Amino acid sequence: MDENHAFQYLESLIGQTLRLHATDTRIFVGTFKCTDSARNIILASTYEYRFPSPSAVRDAPTDAENQDAGIAAESPNVKVNMTSRFIGLVVVPGHHITKIELEETPQQSRVREVLKKS
Amino acid sequence: MLLSHSVGNPVMRVISQSVVPRDITDEFTTAASKLRTGQLVKDEYFTLFEAVGALEIMDSKMDSGYLGPGQSDVQALEDDYDPTRELAPEQVIGIMDELLCHEMAWHMGHPLSQTLFTSLYLDELLWPVPKTIEEAHFCRPGSSMNKEEPGMAHLVLRAYCLALIKCCDFVHTRITAEYFYEEEDFVTQLYNRSLLSQFDHAYFRNLLDRAISWIDEQGDSVDAKLREAMKCRLVFRREFLLSLEQDLDIIQSRSTCHFSSCLSQLGPMTNSVSLGRPVPEAFSWKIQRKLASTVPPRPMVKISFEDALAHLKRLCQDAMDLLEVLDYRGPHNLKVAVWALLSRKPQPSVYIRSLLQSMIMKNVTVLGDVPLKQFLYDELAEIVLPSSILLQASKDETEMPSDPRFQIANHMDAFVKRFSQPFVDTFRSACLNRCRIRRTICHTIVDWDNLQMEAEDLDEQLRTLNNEPPLMLQNGDATYSYPLSSWAYHQKLNQFRLIIQLGFELSIYSPEELPGMYWYLSHICSTHLGHIDRIRTFIVATAKRNLAALAGEQRDAVERHAALQNTLRLLERLTTQIVAVDAFAISLHALYVLLARHNVLPTASGAQAYSSERLRYELRMKPFLQITLPELVPFDEFHREAMLEGDSDEIVLDRAAKAISEARKAWEATLAKGAFMRDSQGPGNPTAAIEEDWNQDVKNVMRACIGASLAIESVKKALATQGSSQDGRTPNPGHLQLQVSIPEMGSKARWHDWWIVPQVVLVSQT
Repeated sequence: MDENHAFQYLESLIGQTLRLHATDTRIFVGTFKCTDSARNIILASTYEYRFPSPSAVRDAPTDAENQDAGIAAESPNVKVNMTSRFIGLVVVPGHHITKIELEETPQQSRVREVLKKS
Repeated sequence: MLLSHSVGNPVMRVISQSVVPRDITDEFTTAASKLRTGQLVKDEYFTLFEAVGALEIMDSKMDSGYLGPGQSDVQALEDDYDPTRELAPEQVIGIMDELLCHEMAWHMGHPLSQTLFTSLYLDELLWPVPKTIEEAHFCRPGSSMNKEEPGMAHLVLRAYCLALIKCCDFVHTRITAEYFYEEEDFVTQLYNRSLLSQFDHAYFRNLLDRAISWIDEQGDSVDAKLREAMKCRLVFRREFLLSLEQDLDIIQSRSTCHFSSCLSQLGPMTNSVSLGRPVPEAFSWKIQRKLASTVPPRPMVKISFEDALAHLKRLCQDAMDLLEVLDYRGPHNLKVAVWALLSRKPQPSVYIRSLLQSMIMKNVTVLGDVPLKQFLYDELAEIVLPSSILLQASKDETEMPSDPRFQIANHMDAFVKRFSQPFVDTFRSACLNRCRIRRTICHTIVDWDNLQMEAEDLDEQLRTLNNEPPLMLQNGDATYSYPLSSWAYHQKLNQFRLIIQLGFELSIYSPEELPGMYWYLSHICSTHLGHIDRIRTFIVATAKRNLAALAGEQRDAVERHAALQNTLRLLERLTTQIVAVDAFAISLHALYVLLARHNVLPTASGAQAYSSERLRYELRMKPFLQITLPELVPFDEFHREAMLEGDSDEIVLDRAAKAISEARKAWEATLAKGAFMRDSQGPGNPTAAIEEDWNQDVKNVMRACIGASLAIESVKKALATQGSSQDGRTPNPGHLQLQVSIPEMGSKARWHDWWIVPQVVLVSQT
């Protein structure tokens, strides 16, 4: 990947929804706005997701009806929602990012596959 | 002008089920590493300026969700506090009082995240959002104690907390419905929590009543003093809830009984504060990491119980006195009452100011029962058009389009449409915070200049329709009354004066500007007096014409006579007040000129400062640059007049002394006339508290007058000493043996906000 290519690739991601996993296990989901060579990433309209606290997991079985769709933390028998909140515009420093995920619709991913092959 | 609901975000992010996350860590990292240092890939509409506002994740100062090293989730988020545990009565009292402090801090303008939302109890009640009121309790889903146990925590504290949240809901609703300034006056942010708005207040009242009777049932198992302490807090909460629930209904009910019962509970509450035992672990600023918030974490706000109670007491008192404003007795009296109430120190809280804004106008009705058009007509009748055909013409009575009265009514309707809102806004703007009042007037004064010109056009058209007889001037020219534009000009001159006087109050002017600004104030006053004289001349002429009819004892002539006399009385009252302001301004102007002339007036700018008299003048005249009338005074003329060039010290001193004695007389006369215009047969004295504020205000001005007299005396002595020591040779400026200081706002020597009287002390020669 040459410099031009790299730039184009990153630019194609602008405006898409990214999921950034941080070193402290939180996940930030927002619209990709900006990045630089140190992989610092700015997200707009961001939601913070946090794994449920141990007590919430402990209490979950007695409260099984409290379910919603969303990102869920899997445990053997119960599903507990991750807690989320809106935090707006954030910058996640590159060295705190452990994983970057792109949210795609199935159509988008198919198009991408096709383009890759061609 | 107000509230940014910038974080009016959806409760949940909307995710379509079909979204698939794809890991792009490696591709992204490789691509990013190819970028040059400093090179950015960014959205073309995304600016660096915006980027500065981004919260940095994993930075403890910026990221409210950050957990420091060694802090586990459990410690940090759950704060190790079990809200289901039973509490001792002392602890319940302690928590209630702490909550009250937080509630008042929120009223004072601190965000919920730093005040009430630091309470773990409130957090437990509000999150997850309860669907029924029963769901809002301290043992939320999953806890082994799902059944509510009667007890201190579950019954007493829960009832108190829920009712408190409902109180906040009422306050929040009222304030957000009106003009206020986000973060300056109040923070509306709810962090994606609801203040239980969907539940009727009766639920909360029942809960409190149940808690109160439960306490009564406890008998001797709880110490009687503690029982009383808890009870008075619950009773207070109930009354406060009912007071806030009443809101605008006070216009109909005219009852302040709930607020006054709140006040009566404050004494017992204060006396029993010491019984409470604080439970600091029930509050934590860490809850901020659970709130939807786009700001960095901030510390908990702590105010003392005394401050909280003082604020609460003022709020209740102000709310009760609002009732006096509701008695409509004409626009002039309303304005006096509104200004007197809102000039209280400290300024009434934002809740009171919002409530008053709604009372002044809601649904095109003033004070709940005066139609807007009537309100404007009352004002015109009071000042420029007593018993005039212009205000009586109505299309309901005259349906013939060719009839002049029909056309008059048409023109007047246009006038009402254009002028009623700006007119009511002159009342409502007084409800803003003090800085914003001045700022708003600086903007609206330009509108009033345009309104005056429009009114002039209307006046000319109306004059031909109602065959107004001209008044002959001595030089033989005919002149007309121009009632509507006269009135608009009168309004504008009022605003000029307010801008200058609020400038003194808000410490806008530096000491070296005081001579000029007091000169300008007197200049505006004399312009205004001239204008009122003009209005009066026309009213007197109308009265004379009416005399003939009066002699014939026609009934409508008698009514007209009363209306005309009423207007003349109001004009007289306005004249007295403006004369008083004028005389005091002239005196202070002369006094400051002397101090400046002898270089004893302190200056804010250094010798090297860029600012100059000309530049400062330009700055101060900025709000008035676009105004056509009164004309702007050119700087050279201003300088000549404001510095009293060419007048000797004796003349200036004499001017100061004469003016101050005239000012004292005029203020005494003002005080004697009282705050309000009274109908001769009207009811006695329904506005006791506000009238007392007004009287106190005038008395403070009179104190300032006395202070000014003393200062003038000191200057006189110093000048005499200087004159004699130099054997009558030309005085040497800069050697006056005086020490001059300008009292700050709020200091004891500042008797009145609008009157800055210098403190002049003779320095004895050693």
